[in-house]
Amino acid sequence: MEALLFNVDSGFLEGTVRGYKAGILTQSHYTNLTQCESLEDFRTQLSATDYGNFLANESLPISTATIADKATQILVDQFKYLRNNAVEPLSKFLDYVTYAYMIDNVILLITGTLHERDTHELIERCHPLGIFESMPALCVASNVEELYQSVLVETPLAPYFRDCLSASDLDDLNIEIIRNTVYKAYLEDFYAFCGSLSGPTADVMQRILSFEADRRTVNITINSFNTELSKEERAKLFPAIGRLFPEGNNQLAKADEIDQVRLVCENVGEYRQFFADTGSSTNGPGDEDSGVLSQLEDRFFQTEVHLNKMAFLQQFQYGVFYAYMKLKEQEIRNITWIAECIAQNAKDRIQDFIPIF
Amino acid sequence: MSDDYPSLLRSEQMSLVQLFVPTEVAHDTVAELGELGNVQFKDLNPNVNPFQRSFVGEIRRIDEMSRRVRFFSTQIEQEKDVVPIRPLYDSAPLITVGPRAAQTMDELDGVLAAHEQRLTQMNESYQKLGERTKELIEARHVLRETAVFFDKAQDHQTDIRTSYDDSAAPLLQHDDRENQYSAGTGAQFDLEFVAGTIERVRVPTFERVLWRVLRGNLYMNHTDIVEPFVDPVTGAETRKNVFIIFAHGDALLTKIRKVAESMGATLYPIDANADKRSESLREVEGRLEDLQNVLYNTGSSRRTELIKVGENLRSWQDVVRKEKLIYETLNLFNYDVRRKTLIAEGWVPTRDITTIQLALRHATEESGTSVPPILHELRTHKTPPTFNRTNKFTEGFQTIMDSYGVASYQEVNPGLFAVITFPFLFAVMFGDIGHGFIIFVAALYMILAERKLARTDLGEIVGQFFYGRYIILLMGLFSIYTGLMYNDIFSKSLHIWHSAWDFPGNGTDNKIVGVDNGHRYPFGLDPGWHGADNNLVFVNSYKMKMSVVLGVIHMTFALCLQLPNHLKFKRPIDVYANFIPQMIFLQSIFGYLVVCILYKWSVDWSKASTQPPSLLNMLISMFLSPGKVDPSEQLYAGQPFVQVVLLLLAAICVPWLLITKPYLAWKDMHKIKEQGYVSIAGNGDGNGIHRDSSDYVLEGEEEGNGGAIAEAGDEEEHEEHDFGEVVIHQVIHTIEFCLGCISHTASYLRLWALSLAHAQLSEVLWTMTLEAWLEPTGVFEWIVLIVMGVFWFGLTVFILCLMEGLSAFLHALRLHWVEANSKHFEGGGHAFTPLTFADPDFKD
Repeated sequence: MEALLFNVDSGFLEGTVRGYKAGILTQSHYTNLTQCESLEDFRTQLSATDYGNFLANESLPISTATIADKATQILVDQFKYLRNNAVEPLSKFLDYVTYAYMIDNVILLITGTLHERDTHELIERCHPLGIFESMPALCVASNVEELYQSVLVETPLAPYFRDCLSASDLDDLNIEIIRNTVYKAYLEDFYAFCGSLSGPTADVMQRILSFEADRRTVNITINSFNTELSKEERAKLFPAIGRLFPEGNNQLAKADEIDQVRLVCENVGEYRQFFADTGSSTNGPGDEDSGVLSQLEDRFFQTEVHLNKMAFLQQFQYGVFYAYMKLKEQEIRNITWIAECIAQNAKDRIQDFIPIF
Repeated sequence: MSDDYPSLLRSEQMSLVQLFVPTEVAHDTVAELGELGNVQFKDLNPNVNPFQRSFVGEIRRIDEMSRRVRFFSTQIEQEKDVVPIRPLYDSAPLITVGPRAAQTMDELDGVLAAHEQRLTQMNESYQKLGERTKELIEARHVLRETAVFFDKAQDHQTDIRTSYDDSAAPLLQHDDRENQYSAGTGAQFDLEFVAGTIERVRVPTFERVLWRVLRGNLYMNHTDIVEPFVDPVTGAETRKNVFIIFAHGDALLTKIRKVAESMGATLYPIDANADKRSESLREVEGRLEDLQNVLYNTGSSRRTELIKVGENLRSWQDVVRKEKLIYETLNLFNYDVRRKTLIAEGWVPTRDITTIQLALRHATEESGTSVPPILHELRTHKTPPTFNRTNKFTEGFQTIMDSYGVASYQEVNPGLFAVITFPFLFAVMFGDIGHGFIIFVAALYMILAERKLARTDLGEIVGQFFYGRYIILLMGLFSIYTGLMYNDIFSKSLHIWHSAWDFPGNGTDNKIVGVDNGHRYPFGLDPGWHGADNNLVFVNSYKMKMSVVLGVIHMTFALCLQLPNHLKFKRPIDVYANFIPQMIFLQSIFGYLVVCILYKWSVDWSKASTQPPSLLNMLISMFLSPGKVDPSEQLYAGQPFVQVVLLLLAAICVPWLLITKPYLAWKDMHKIKEQGYVSIAGNGDGNGIHRDSSDYVLEGEEEGNGGAIAEAGDEEEHEEHDFGEVVIHQVIHTIEFCLGCISHTASYLRLWALSLAHAQLSEVLWTMTLEAWLEPTGVFEWIVLIVMGVFWFGLTVFILCLMEGLSAFLHALRLHWVEANSKHFEGGGHAFTPLTFADPDFKD
């Protein structure tokens, strides 16, 4: 059915996004980039790719931040082009993609205001895709109730925040709880929305979103060890979707150390290798844990990239749009990492990026 | 045969040359060769990253310089008053070759940097001043608007007071807002407020957010500022509003301020006291005046700076562009540190080697060293690029053919013949003396004003016409000729000689029959046909047959162009297996038709014993019932026999064409296998190319630069003459040719159709507009005649000359590309793209 009618509304945009995807840097590009001696080399090298002359008019000492900003700007322009040409339900789908950035921005602003940072500086640091009109007014609020009543109520995020109005004061822990509750609500909503689209979109997107949910669950669990977060509260933060749900989530809610997390993850085939070669040497919990964690993070990213790449294998579905955004974000992270390594002359760690193609 | 003088028949003979350039003269050499523009350099280090090449440092520096130059030109473009830019041909040239080249570049770099610094500094201060001015203007607006507002409030206050005093009417009668309002003013403005400006698009959001923050107790007033604010740097316009918000209590005020600031509003401290307000308004205005003076001065000094930049901008752009090209070319060279030389390889026209050598010597002298670059020719099996030397006359015609496909190296170039055939076929469709004359004059004007027009930017559409001015000239000339043949001038006929027909006007009958008076009209169509009832019948039959005759001649000619190719490339098999059967096939069917047409024209059918036969039916029955011809429609004696023979000949040609070449290829392959040769690479072509290329590599290694040449050997391109491929190719070719012969002949009928349409259209135009008013009697008729005349002329130019001309042009193009080129053109070449400084996009 999709094969028959999909292209009527979304064929052009799918073609466009697949064209964009062809511009994602490949392994050989990365090899060339890692050989650069300076950021000017880096610029020359990037100008041979789809990025083109995006840095040509920057005056010379280029900062890593500029590179990241300009690259993000390209992505944002592409996304806006897609969004402006989309019709229902794709436009709704693309809106859902922006909600994640909006949540991030909201949290960023609240945290920033809490630490009394300058509002304009904070707004500049916000992701351009997640900016909404009344966003700057967020910094006025001093508690969640006010936040919700004055600003968020008119945004699409309102339903997500409804669940966490109970948290009264804004402090670091509460913000973290808000972030996770909101994100949980967002993920579940997005999951349900994708399910309503049915067909291949649901298949592809729910696979990706399940992983996203599981990743959050695992991260929340690990990060809440040795904090004042009670186990019941922790359980509330877990998204009610994903492959670990429900029994994995239940076990994770009771977990006290990383080994228990591993046991849970090993129940799912694809997640088994997350902790694969780290388990053997768990004698010193201190340093070892952080090593395990950073490795875990990398593996999460790798799996994400893998899943997003898989999304391109299927046609006539919206997953490609989501996957493209995620892959491109990963690419910008990679570029920034390499640029940072070059700028700080840390050649030994330059290979620690996650190649996409 | 074209060794002494450049001709268009075949593309220029090319040689692969190797240059050994000492590093000191490398830059100047490339500069000299770039001016000369006839060397196409090969990339000798294709595996090296762009930033690992030898001259990256220089390129980076040039990039930086070109960024500065781009910065200047955007600055100049953004300036509202036009800054004059001195064109390149007026500027003093910057010399970037010779011993002082490095110094010149350093100086230029310095100058550019200095200008940039000054300009950015001025921009910054201009911007800062602009922003301050903007703020002051906004402050003034806020002051004024709030003053209006407070004044109104004052009035209200007194109103309310009186009303309160006079009647004891409760305040509740007033609406809510006014209520609040009066309470505020009544308390002598102890209700505090926030005033400022905000962008107009944000006002609704701002209001909404405030409304929610203040829990619905919002009293806000805002008015539009009429004039937009223009950003001094980007030139973008923003429109703003003045707002004033009343609230009570410090907490709320801070909240409002915070919201306002975070929403991008600018707040201004306004005093509630009217005197203080007018005082600060005066102060603001005074400061504003001062600032505007300073701003004006900064602006004018910035402008002076830009004018200074504008004087040199073009020459800087030119130098930067050339230098970048030079270093990019140098990056293609192989760099040998040990021997302090650069090794370059490239294609040059063999004829130009002497010129290039002279240029090399000149470059050495310029740079003031004594070590000249060394040039020597290499032996190669690679296919050289195709280079047709054109002049401004042939350029257009060659482009027409090149846009279909670039000819293979040294193949017969159809562009040469297009010089005549193209305008001729166009004119057959466009034949009219008047219209031909109009486009001829237009082309002549463009040619005479060539120098002036070439320098100005004509835009895309007019530029196209200008580029094809010589084509248009010939098209006009040929149209005049064919117009004479058709005896058509703006759909009327010329009566120059004595017509062969007399029309005895006896007036009794509606129909007057022409009487042959024994004269013969010596050139073109007899004007007696004009206006005759059977004019269309006669002209139709005449033009239709003529287009078939012209078409078959054109195709035969195109087919014959195969022959020089086969002879030149020593492919005798193709002559026997392709050319001869194709020729026989074409001639035995369509050549025969042409002969019949000509014969039929030469017979006086009024005296013949048989009826004139229909040639179309004759051709059809030749296939359907071979050997049988109705005696009443017989064209000549012995016709059935001749037709059977011709049909058999054509029938034989098909298998001949289909089988011979694959068979010969198969036999050849068999012979090689029998002799015991086995191909090393497993692709059984065995024509020795591999051995040769390895020889070539050895030879290169003897000269001590094996690396560069070994690569060249690797990318040797030759088609795999697989047997299966030969068969498939030949099958396709046969089908294409045989079916093509029929459809292409029919396709030439477009000559007839378009020519007829053109003649009819111009006649319709004449009768619909001008004809009725040709004999004016009164003033009114004269006026109508003039109006109609202008109307007629306009339509003639736009519809008949431009639109019909374009349509005829397209059809002529198609006849060349499809009907003629498919008979002989291989078109597998790649164009010669030499390093040249002449940039077509770079106009003043």
